[in-house]
Amino acid sequence: MHAVIPYVVAGLLFALGVYGVLRRRNAILVLMAVELMLNAVNLILVAADATIKSALDGVQPEAWAYPVPEPRAGAIFALFVIVLAAAEVGVGLAIILQYYRLRRAVVLDEIALHDHEDDDEIADNKSARVTG
Amino acid sequence: MTVADALMLALGAIAVGSGVYVVTSAHLVRAGFYLVVSLGAVAGLYLVLGAELVAWVQILVYVGAVVVLLLFAVMLTRAPIGPSKDLDRPVAPAALIGGGVGLGLTVLLVDAFRWTEYELPPPGTGRRVGEQIFGAWVLPFEVLSILLLAALVGAIVLSRPDIGARPDPSAAAVPDLPPPGPVDESAEVKARLERIAARQAAARERMRAAESPDPGEAPPLEKTREDVLKEQAHDVVFRAGDARPKLGVPEIAELSEGGKSDPRVIEGTSRENPERALPRGEDRALPRGNDRALPRAPEKDDEET
Repeated sequence: MHAVIPYVVAGLLFALGVYGVLRRRNAILVLMAVELMLNAVNLILVAADATIKSALDGVQPEAWAYPVPEPRAGAIFALFVIVLAAAEVGVGLAIILQYYRLRRAVVLDEIALHDHEDDDEIADNKSARVTG
Repeated sequence: MTVADALMLALGAIAVGSGVYVVTSAHLVRAGFYLVVSLGAVAGLYLVLGAELVAWVQILVYVGAVVVLLLFAVMLTRAPIGPSKDLDRPVAPAALIGGGVGLGLTVLLVDAFRWTEYELPPPGTGRRVGEQIFGAWVLPFEVLSILLLAALVGAIVLSRPDIGARPDPSAAAVPDLPPPGPVDESAEVKARLERIAARQAAARERMRAAESPDPGEAPPLEKTREDVLKEQAHDVVFRAGDARPKLGVPEIAELSEGGKSDPRVIEGTSRENPERALPRGEDRALPRGNDRALPRAPEKDDEET
């Protein structure tokens, strides 16, 4: 097995995720791109998990490097990252849906971060909703 | 080039290709489904790399839960079916940064690993993963369970406006401000509500008029020509007219005489006798000359208006 293949795939997936986060305006699509990035990190973890045994051949065993008899914790980390991603998606979608209920929009560019009581913008959204 | 290499190349190509569609597709729902394909290919990569449990958890949690959740959100936010125009920002900075990240990572990883051959480990079992999780990593595991609980409670609190709603100080200063709900402001909705209220008032008025003991305006007179036509159309559509009892229609007798193919007709009992022909005159005396049964109860007219 050539370890460079999964690593390069993971790098490309991460780049795609970065591109999607920067390019997309819809919040749900941004979450999808974040999922791609998390998967790239998982893939790197699992690939390192698969290759570390043969990569560590001939290395002096040290106590800090072996918390468990078999030094393969990448799969565990990948599981933890999957759990974190599930929690992130749950809270992120709750925020997106709440924002959609308030403003009828999921476009990230138009979210006002500084002043929440901006009546002009609310009126603009209202008129846009009526016309459109 | 071994079988594992070929498999990883194919799965990686599928993952990256559908990932490109995820970030470039103009259809929201299609982006979600391409995400399914991409995550499935990554799960296949996990299988090739010997992490079985991670692969199945990936399919269970990502494809089964996360993507379904994302598609739910797509539909709850009334995403249009078909391509959406204003989905993207200008391409230049995103392509610059994304391409830079991809190029940098690829060069770094290729330079680090070259074309070195690594020995694939024996496929991991759930037993090893379980021993590690509940042995060396039990504290992070418990912390993660608390984090999941916190995320669950947080999502519920966020999506329910009646929990944790604080009285707004500015709203207390101006108490008669209308709530910024989506339903109760647009002129269209208001006009529709007014129309419904007017219709209900008219119906109530008619009910009162029907219940009033005034004999001058008897309810049978309210049956207009449109109602009769509607009933006839209803009968034509649903064939209910055949089941209805008919008064003095001569075709019944003729049918029972000529229709010997019908096994339910008992012969000899359905002759036309002169006593039956009598009510025809009464039938003509009914209002507006409908050849149908007696007019219905007056309450049903309210539904039709």
